Amino acid sequence: MTSQPTTPITTTADDVVRVENLKVNFYTQLGVVRALNGVSFNIPRGKVLGIVGESGCGKSITGMSIMQLVTSVGKTEGGKILFNESAGGNPINILDYERNSPEMRKIRGNNISMIFQEPMSSLNPCYTISNQIEEAIRLHQTNDKVESRNRAIEVLTKVGMPNPDRIADSFPHELSGGMRQRAMIAMALSCTPTLLIADEPTTALDVTTEASILDLMRELQSEIGTSIMFITHNMGVVAQMCDEVAVMYLGRVVERASVDDIFYEPRHPYTIALLQSIPRLGRTKGRLASIEGSVPDPYSRVNGCPFHPRCPVAIKGVCDTILPEETIVDAAKGHTVRCHLYS
Amino acid sequence: MTTDDMLLEVRGLKKHFPIRSGFLRRVTGTVKAVDGIDFHIKKGETLGLVGESGCGKSTAGRALLRLHEPTAGEIIFNDPTLGKVDVAKLDRATMLKLRPNMQIIFQDPFTSLNPRLTVGQIVGEPLEIQHRASGSELTDRVAELLNEVGIRPENMSRYPHAFSGGQRQRIGIARALALNPKLIVCDEPVSALDVSIQAQVLNLLGELQAKYGLAYLFVGHDLSVIEHISDRVAVMYVGYIVEMAKTDKLYFTPKHPYTEALLNAIPKADPRMRTRPIRLQGEVPSPANPPSGCYFHPRCRYAKDICSHERPPLQDIGDEHFVACHFAKELSLVGVQPLNDIKLEMPAKKS
Repeated sequence: MTSQPTTPITTTADDVVRVENLKVNFYTQLGVVRALNGVSFNIPRGKVLGIVGESGCGKSITGMSIMQLVTSVGKTEGGKILFNESAGGNPINILDYERNSPEMRKIRGNNISMIFQEPMSSLNPCYTISNQIEEAIRLHQTNDKVESRNRAIEVLTKVGMPNPDRIADSFPHELSGGMRQRAMIAMALSCTPTLLIADEPTTALDVTTEASILDLMRELQSEIGTSIMFITHNMGVVAQMCDEVAVMYLGRVVERASVDDIFYEPRHPYTIALLQSIPRLGRTKGRLASIEGSVPDPYSRVNGCPFHPRCPVAIKGVCDTILPEETIVDAAKGHTVRCHLYS
Repeated sequence: MTTDDMLLEVRGLKKHFPIRSGFLRRVTGTVKAVDGIDFHIKKGETLGLVGESGCGKSTAGRALLRLHEPTAGEIIFNDPTLGKVDVAKLDRATMLKLRPNMQIIFQDPFTSLNPRLTVGQIVGEPLEIQHRASGSELTDRVAELLNEVGIRPENMSRYPHAFSGGQRQRIGIARALALNPKLIVCDEPVSALDVSIQAQVLNLLGELQAKYGLAYLFVGHDLSVIEHISDRVAVMYVGYIVEMAKTDKLYFTPKHPYTEALLNAIPKADPRMRTRPIRLQGEVPSPANPPSGCYFHPRCRYAKDICSHERPPLQDIGDEHFVACHFAKELSLVGVQPLNDIKLEMPAKKS
């Protein structure tokens, strides 16, 4: 049996989502992929939490799990996802519901919505933009055709579409990448969700388009007050967009702190190495400090701390055998880290 | 060998693609992907070529090697044996003699290696084609090349699928290095890689440049990476170079409004330096149907009358700073501010 922590759920802080010890495994023909090995974090209400990490660290799967969108080969094998609709309300465990249950469908797209990375492949090419936005509105909010149409136009205006009437009747292929991403954001915001999960929303876009999309998201966030879970691998985007950051490595959160602390006082060797390896504008010349090796093969299992084979300061006999627990390094600022150097 | 340190001079390079439509596939228009660009690369230098998608930067890089046949223009390459030749006009046989000196590294390490060849065959192929080595000599040279890029030579008989993205990109680099080139066109070599791997590959490219005196044309869209690796930078917009200068000049004192907007949009990795972006009106125009005058004028916040009907030429405003803007001398534009110098140190090792 797995040893489950039996600490009662303390909801002193007002969190929209509290993920506790989430485990997701994928059973494939080649073996078991342990995508999430006990992920825990919280998203404070009205804040933007950034989830950063390299490919394969499980950041997208975490977002998918909250929406219960993980495909059937992926099995959630433990943990809780507590979702609290309104401040002071009773949190519900999303994992108590079946993926296709009416309760889950009521939450999905209404209370929690998602923006995907690739705006071309996540919009249906056969329906017009307004058709796709109205679908969510009619499912969750109103049955009235005229009203839903008006609301679709209203959200399109809100996301800064020039000419929203014309855009509403166009098909995805008629729009540019930036416009499609705006349409995706409009769709996600159409039911004013409590939580918005943005999975690399700007990765496929050019810098100037990226900047305007980020600006738009920040503006809408302060206007509507939606909490955002922002998944990205770009440290620059994190610095510009997020209030708090969770750094993931191989299916675990290794460091969790405010965005300022992550950049100015990072503690985990992985976070430090990650920051050292990006070129800093106007600063770095010559060699970049790089992390040795690469992320291990997903089918393998690393004993001890998952980062120890690449860690320059790993402690022999400790880091390669014992998994570090989450340690609080600054209680006031809520800075936690999973590393033996601080325990 | 000449003492001339100029390696490559490009004058008026154009690459137009025909648009065909209808039953007879008649040409109904042209996409002017690259529409007359001039630049030069000196020996051992890195020229960064940046721009947003569709601006023609990759097409320009490929046209240099005649992977796309250029529509017009001169590509003067200073070959160590052939002397100065116009690559655009060479016949097949001479081109084959020149190819060893101009190589390319591709963007996507997953599609640019033949899955049916072993790593040894991939890296050895250029050596065989050019009759540089065969038999055990070939194997030795391939092993040496793989060592150079940090792949263990024992892996020579494995196939590309057995390697990670970063390792595949290293194999691509070994292949480009095989014939001791003078110039390597790097077509977004790190955009498909994770940050930690990206740093490894950038370091490797830097080391190889120092060791072999290579010149790079580094095509990319990540402005932080371009700043890090380039000596000089050229900014492209819809088929034209709008600004070209030494890296520091271009980043700190840009002279073209498009460069200013581009620099402003870089997501700065510093939460204490949050910037509001300069909102550009509209979208990048299509190279099949560009606007009149300066291509940037419909989106430019400094645009005046003249901009809509006269296209500004790329002019030297002193100290190798080239700008294509009517008001390059009048405008005072904002460049990037260096990020705060954060001291990041690994925690001390405990035992």
